[in-house]
Amino acid sequence: MAIDYKHKKILIIDDFTNFRRLMIRMLESFGARDIDDTYSGDSAILKMQSKPYDIILCDYNLGHDKKDGQQVLEEAKHRGLIRYSSIFIMLTAENTMPMVMGAVEYQPDDYLIKPITKEMLTRRLEKIVQRKADFEVIETAIRNKEYMRAISLCEEHADNNPKYRLEYMRIKSDLCMTIGRYDDAVAVFSEVLSLREISWAKMGMGKVYFMKGEYLMARDIFRSVIEENRTYMEAYDWLAKTLEELGALDEALQILLAAVEISPKAILRHQTIGDISSKMDDYDTAEQAFRSAISIGKHSCFKSPSYYTGLARTMVKKNSADEALSVLGDARSEFKGNREALFQAVSMEGIVYSGMNRPEDAKKSIQDATRLLEKLSGKIPVEATMDLARVCFDLGEKEKGMQFMQSIVRNNHDNDKILGMVQDVFRDAQMEEEGAKIISATKNEVIQLNNQGVRLIEESKLKEAIEYFEKAAKGLPENKIINANAAQALMMYMQKAGKNDKYIYLALQYLERVKNIDPSYEKYQKLLNMYEKVAGSHKSPDA
Amino acid sequence: MDDNEKKIDFSAFLASMAHDMKNSLGMLLNTIDEVVSTCKPDKCPSHRYLSQMQYEATRVNFNLIQLLTLYKMDRGQFSINISHYPVSEIIEDIVLQNKPLLDFKGIEIFTECPDDLTWFLDSNLVSGVINNILNNAYRYAKSKILIRVEENNGWLAVGIEDDGQGYPEEMLGTGLRAGSGVSFATGSTGLGLYFASMVAKLHKNKDREGNISISNGGEYGGGCFTVNLP
Repeated sequence: MAIDYKHKKILIIDDFTNFRRLMIRMLESFGARDIDDTYSGDSAILKMQSKPYDIILCDYNLGHDKKDGQQVLEEAKHRGLIRYSSIFIMLTAENTMPMVMGAVEYQPDDYLIKPITKEMLTRRLEKIVQRKADFEVIETAIRNKEYMRAISLCEEHADNNPKYRLEYMRIKSDLCMTIGRYDDAVAVFSEVLSLREISWAKMGMGKVYFMKGEYLMARDIFRSVIEENRTYMEAYDWLAKTLEELGALDEALQILLAAVEISPKAILRHQTIGDISSKMDDYDTAEQAFRSAISIGKHSCFKSPSYYTGLARTMVKKNSADEALSVLGDARSEFKGNREALFQAVSMEGIVYSGMNRPEDAKKSIQDATRLLEKLSGKIPVEATMDLARVCFDLGEKEKGMQFMQSIVRNNHDNDKILGMVQDVFRDAQMEEEGAKIISATKNEVIQLNNQGVRLIEESKLKEAIEYFEKAAKGLPENKIINANAAQALMMYMQKAGKNDKYIYLALQYLERVKNIDPSYEKYQKLLNMYEKVAGSHKSPDA
Repeated sequence: MDDNEKKIDFSAFLASMAHDMKNSLGMLLNTIDEVVSTCKPDKCPSHRYLSQMQYEATRVNFNLIQLLTLYKMDRGQFSINISHYPVSEIIEDIVLQNKPLLDFKGIEIFTECPDDLTWFLDSNLVSGVINNILNNAYRYAKSKILIRVEENNGWLAVGIEDDGQGYPEEMLGTGLRAGSGVSFATGSTGLGLYFASMVAKLHKNKDREGNISISNGGEYGGGCFTVNLP
């Protein structure tokens, strides 16, 4: 597919001036006119923010201690700076570089090894454009969150286009994992593995075992992936996660530390190291890990307040409460205007003050946190809210603590893991019996609330049901069943009265929430099917 | 850190030098490329020297790639990256890369490859092997090179045949061991074949692993190199 370069917006990222000049001349000889270039990942991100590039050529190695090409790609994708139609090519000096492979969704369209010739570059670009055109219908379906449709498109294409069969199967398996159709994903992985031991299929198999709680099987698979490919970083993270579930914290920590040696700039991994070493009372390692996460995250979109609260908690354990407070002060200024982040920081401050025996300050923190929580429109950050409840119980503000605990239970009334954590908090506060009563009463309350709405649906009072669940979901935005029923009411209404954009939009929002809470929820599959039938040929305005 | 500083790790030093040389060479190659494209053979008397330069620089580049790859393999820092590819596309890429030079020397290159054949392989490594063999064939072929790709009982065979003199008798059968082909007189270090056999061996499927073979004869009566991948 020939490309008209005249109107293409092109960005070249390389730390060598001479190389950038050379690429510019090469692209100009193709007829390109709109070419920008830059030497560093940070400035590349800035440029991408202000201009949507069609073609990005990025060197992997951008200098010692700097963002590398993979990080540029990850950040750009994460921030939505790269559209599906844009082309991202990673340039490398040699094919043997210990390049770190990102997860599949963070892979470039192609790798090119220097020296790059004109013929090579045009040919690759044309091939990518062709491939993108081939995959476009599927990508569109995915973008519109019509997962079922995307899956059947993959099946169709895999049969018609054997050259890319494997690629279609990979996307299909990915989609099946996303929407919790684990058995279908396993079928794909097994088929691929019967042909060849391909890492992504092995990884997928391991992930399914993990989801199903078969941790020993999962562990062995992740181990063997690492053995075959030392730079497959995703496998380290999953192996650590699996070991953690098996209670082998020490082993998990070792795996993550080995991963950090290879790829030192993955922020989330540092946080996990911090969390695990805290659990093991290894506060020196924890401190170092959280500090790394904070410093790497400073200029990254992956920064999170939990690095700061993690560090603060560690500093409390190391008897430096003052340092903890100063860390939280940093968090406050770093996340100005971000209510959820501030809520986490303030709750943590409460814990620190309470530990310092400064009850007045701790009470003030509770007040501030309560105000912030009210503005989060129903969203309850589970861990920070539990922290807050603990402080309340410490200070004897029992009623307030109870309220926080109730709001957690309401949003997660069918999540046994979180309910277990809730019980732990009650036990620590020596309120086990009372806590159990509260939990079951609150659960009942939600069930009643839900049943009442379901009755409206059953009585075909769909308009009312929609209103009812809309209100309920507003109060309980993280409750799976309420959100699922809210979506169902909308879709049943549209089945009768015909579709309308507003309801389709709303239904999709509820469905996405359900997917994010628990994609393997049985009802989700049914609802998704229903959605795609109702939404049918519906196109969202941006498609 | 501190201990290592006292002792120079010579091979690591070499590897990092090779890496640096490769960067310079890349620039050199690109620059020659530009010069070649702006100076037409009929108007520029030095054109043929430029092509010679291009050839030699390409050769050094391939050698450095091999050296670095072997170094990484030796240190256990290398991991193979197998994916599924349409083989014809890889071959087309390679031909495109080598054609300008071969054209210049008046060597024709032919390919026989089923269009719908796909295979599991590390495309960078395998391209490296074929490029290197072609680069040698450039030296020895008189007028023709054939790349022949076939699938046979679960094996992919990529053969490169030329109409040159063929491999020297003493290399046949022994050339696959490291260093056995080293001859400073002819400039052959055997590195290319050693690299090729390492790459082949890294391609494993179930209990089979890849291999290479060399012989003389074939369609054009010259040297035949074949890499077989399971």
